[in-house]
Amino acid sequence: MEHKLDVSGLEPPEPMERILQAIEEINAGDYLYVIHRREPRMIYPMLENMGIAWITRPGGPEGYEIFIWRKDDSVASAKIPA
Amino acid sequence: MQVSRSSLSLEQAPPISVPFRFFITAPIFGLFAALLLLIYGPEALTNRWAPATLALTHLITLGFLGMIMCGAMMQMLPVLAGSPVPRVKPVATAVHSLLTIGIISLASGFLSGITGLFHLALTTLGLGFLIFIIATSIALIRIRTPNDTIHGMRLAIASLATTVMLGLTIGAGFSGITSLSQLIPLTDIHLGWGILGWVGMLVVGVAYQVVPMFQLTPEYPRKLTGPLNWVLFATLVIWAPLYLAWGNGQLPKWVPDIWILLPITGYILFAGTTLWLQQKRRRRVSDVTLLFWRTGMILIAACLLLWLTSFIPAAKNQPTLPLLLGIWLLFGVAASVTNGMLYKIVPFLAWFHLQNRQVALMSMGKVKVPNMKELMPDRLTKRQLYAHLATLLLLTLALFWPNPLAHIAGLSLGLSCTLLLLNLLQAARRYQQVNQELSDFEASR
Repeated sequence: MEHKLDVSGLEPPEPMERILQAIEEINAGDYLYVIHRREPRMIYPMLENMGIAWITRPGGPEGYEIFIWRKDDSVASAKIPA
Repeated sequence: MQVSRSSLSLEQAPPISVPFRFFITAPIFGLFAALLLLIYGPEALTNRWAPATLALTHLITLGFLGMIMCGAMMQMLPVLAGSPVPRVKPVATAVHSLLTIGIISLASGFLSGITGLFHLALTTLGLGFLIFIIATSIALIRIRTPNDTIHGMRLAIASLATTVMLGLTIGAGFSGITSLSQLIPLTDIHLGWGILGWVGMLVVGVAYQVVPMFQLTPEYPRKLTGPLNWVLFATLVIWAPLYLAWGNGQLPKWVPDIWILLPITGYILFAGTTLWLQQKRRRRVSDVTLLFWRTGMILIAACLLLWLTSFIPAAKNQPTLPLLLGIWLLFGVAASVTNGMLYKIVPFLAWFHLQNRQVALMSMGKVKVPNMKELMPDRLTKRQLYAHLATLLLLTLALFWPNPLAHIAGLSLGLSCTLLLLNLLQAARRYQQVNQELSDFEASR
């Protein structure tokens, strides 16, 4: 299942806060789909530390789309749109 | 479709003590400036060549603005450009200590006239800025794909190098090390490169990133950001020899004075665009940083109008005019913008370092990391904004009614700097508390 999170209207560091909060609520087999205005480079080391995988793609409604899932969750990984 | 997995390495971000020491020192120098204004009163505001005025100017330019800008640059290079300043801890310690000694000795040199203090100031400021310029230049050169912010930073550093070299030359002449024949034009060129080059270009370059990021505005148009950096820099490069030629009696004064309107027009374009972008911001909530920036942008336009009045024959030789321009540029534009940015940079950094540590310790739900508003509450920053605006107004009025307004402006500046210092210390203390809670959690595992 996809959990959609639009952080494009939020001021830093609220997007990071919301993303970190949302990650805690992801169930096995689910992934988080984040809509962002900028590439959230500063959150990457935190995701790395948390054992979280991500893909950032330029595009989407606001400029960037980020797909986030647990590294060991192959079911969620397979669901990420190509 | 491009896929990005690039990451900002944690090791790249400097320890929080690196920028914080510069930020906390800035209002302390502001307090020294306030004390000077309180003691000397009208003497510090009636003639730009008076020792008290020179001491006051350098306490603000080097002590307040310089400290904030050096600290911010060391912090922003890794964050905005992914290129850390090499050996950032020893570099920050050396730069901060040398500049602090240099600023104190320069201001006391101006006030006392003791030559030895000037020599100490020249050595320490020269060495401090040399280390800063070399270290930041290495980081800037390493960036493979520079954007307009990086171009702006590079040109700002080149402007700083020019300002420092001119300052050292003037200082050497002032303290009798060398003879100096063109004191007035060289001082004006030093001032021009310092304000329109170093301060202005760094503010412009950084604004390209931080205004859209923190104020949720649309991006600056590329048609503006690309050429503006280069136009500002190139026009200053040409202005300096024109001004020197006036000093030598080879050109009439109106030639460099008309020419300088080119970079000033560039800054007006920047200010107008920033105000326009702020009007189009997505979240229309009142924000203290936004109000500081708006003050700065409006004052840029006011400075242009003031500059234009210098062409009116009746106003031409008014000694108040350059002083008013100085006050508006330094306090109205530069101090407003840098002060406003501190209220984003400081809580953001504190939050970022704490959040990073929390994630590394996996202590979510055990230790609460405060958010930006908890680290820097609006009611405190708003109070300081009002004190800052009152100071700007009082300084302006003090030029026309120096007694007793110069003393009162000193009091107001003192209040504004005290509030700024307390706000910064409050955020630093909150950071330390939560950091300690995280350490306690780590020890208890």
